[in-house]
Amino acid sequence: MSGLVETLLWGVVNGCIYILLATGLNIIFGVMKLVNFAHGQLLMIGAYVAFTAATVFGLNAYLSILVAIVTIALIGAGLERLTFRRVLGTDKLNEIFVSLGLIYVFENVAVLLWGNKLKQITSPFQGLGLSLGEVSISYDLLLAISVVTVILIALFILMKKTKIGLAMRATSQRSDTSMLMGVNIEKVYIFTFALGAALAGAAGALYGIIFPFNPSIGALPTIKAFAIIMLGGLGSIPGAIIGGLLYGIAENTAVYFLGGIWQDAIAFALLIIVLVIRPTGLFGEKGE
Amino acid sequence: MQKMFANLFGSIGRELLSFYRSEKFYFVLGAMAIGAIIPLFVSDYVVGEVLTPMIIFTIYASSWNLLAYSGQGSLGHAAFLGIGGFASALLAIKLGVPPIFCLFLGSLFSAAIGLLIGLACVRLKAWFLAMVTFGFSVIIVTLISQFDTVIGGIMGFPTPLLVERGLAFYYMTFALATTSIFTMYLLMKSKMGLAFRAIHENELEAKMIGINTAKYRLLAFVLSTFFAGLAGGLYAQSIRYIQVSVFDAYYSFLPLMMVVIGGLRTMEGPIIGSVIIISIESYLPRIDPIMQGLMGPLFPSVSNVGPPLRMLSLGLFLVIVVIFFPKGVSSLLHKIHNYFREETKKANNIERK
Repeated sequence: MSGLVETLLWGVVNGCIYILLATGLNIIFGVMKLVNFAHGQLLMIGAYVAFTAATVFGLNAYLSILVAIVTIALIGAGLERLTFRRVLGTDKLNEIFVSLGLIYVFENVAVLLWGNKLKQITSPFQGLGLSLGEVSISYDLLLAISVVTVILIALFILMKKTKIGLAMRATSQRSDTSMLMGVNIEKVYIFTFALGAALAGAAGALYGIIFPFNPSIGALPTIKAFAIIMLGGLGSIPGAIIGGLLYGIAENTAVYFLGGIWQDAIAFALLIIVLVIRPTGLFGEKGE
Repeated sequence: MQKMFANLFGSIGRELLSFYRSEKFYFVLGAMAIGAIIPLFVSDYVVGEVLTPMIIFTIYASSWNLLAYSGQGSLGHAAFLGIGGFASALLAIKLGVPPIFCLFLGSLFSAAIGLLIGLACVRLKAWFLAMVTFGFSVIIVTLISQFDTVIGGIMGFPTPLLVERGLAFYYMTFALATTSIFTMYLLMKSKMGLAFRAIHENELEAKMIGINTAKYRLLAFVLSTFFAGLAGGLYAQSIRYIQVSVFDAYYSFLPLMMVVIGGLRTMEGPIIGSVIIISIESYLPRIDPIMQGLMGPLFPSVSNVGPPLRMLSLGLFLVIVVIFFPKGVSSLLHKIHNYFREETKKANNIERK
């Protein structure tokens, strides 16, 4: 029984990281209609940035999340300006190609700078936990969940209450009309990409606190984040949150009942089944 | 029925005739002559380790390109490469089917799986299909690992030999590749190819002029998986061994890279791309010690800077090609060709005057 509870908890934590990644991807897709397959590599770089901040500069692990967020946002802004802006609006496949090239670039830059070995950010709460009867919950997991909650609330406020949020929502509906209404589309695009990247950076820092990581961890989370977006429906943030939680829990329960080898496969099987039955996702809008 | 066949053969004949009369014919003939002569002058090692993979990956990249013609993309083509390889090897070992039939049965099996996957996702948009195919290539690894007692894929097993490795195998692959690419050329010149292009340009408009888009997209997918399976069977033969690592994401990205660098949606693109990428992968590792000497001290955390630097440059190369030469290396060649044609025209004009 306690095993199952722990599995569910880990599922929620996994899901939280996926939610951040998927929300970032979803915002970028929603506003820019851009498919960035290198999103998971931003997570990976975020983990390394937080790691460097924590070890080299001796920062608290949870404060290093902020460093990761800022750095990855800047990298994201640079990426949008230098690469994606040039292929936006051309063939859809071109965006996929650019992001695949970026995967190679990021992974190998990380190998060159930080090496191939597994690393993990040491948290100040390592080994400490809340014990509830048989089940013990480490503080790190609880903190991770609360950090994600705070970030999501901040994101919600940004999207609903600020001017740039309004501009983003307008652009996501009709980019040409919002341009006519005086929205600086290029600024919105660069901000959107930086915001999405920042979410990935936060996800990476949390990942680095909870799991050990190396330069090649980025690939599967990207694909899973895409799966979550499709589960939840393109462009729907609540969908991404529910999809992320469902996905994290499904993945961990599958490992618990069927064995570790099914971790990645069961999730994709789920995705394929959902897409076959409902091509627009569980909460997606009809058509495009 | 008879009339349809007569039409089909008539159109193929017309295509062949126009191909024979065009300038392209001489280029193709030249390229084939180069492909046929080069292996006679290089060592056995080069034939086996560089030229044969080049030819095999040309088929593989062309199969990916065929899919791209119809505006679709796959990020999990390795699944079909692997299925083709495993199916053809297993048929030969477990059922004793002669290897030459296995090659085609393996490709047919791959196409059948492609049909199933395609049926499930013809309604999906480009990147959805890319995701589903990637997901499928992950699932298939799990399946093969689960049934390891029957398949033995985790440790891998040697594949039965079709013909002796070396020149004989090279020429067989060469003949198969030529046939495959020529078939694809004719397909793209036929009504089907026209439909593929129309779907890529604008699916809604294609639907409006009466093209059954779902049918043609499925057809593109099945044909593409057939040729990927053929490449897989040949690949298993060429490395004489098949293992579950053939499903790695690396093998899914390879055809994509070749096609983009060579020239997307061109017949010569996959060939050029395969030649470039395989040459880089075979010969660039030789400068690793030099790179280690030059750059090693800068990056103390890696023991050998060669491989990551090479991969990094490949990634940068891909990004640069997509941004600055969206039509790949083939467009550069076209420009050079056009330039010379203009020059000869000018020269002719001067002579006439």
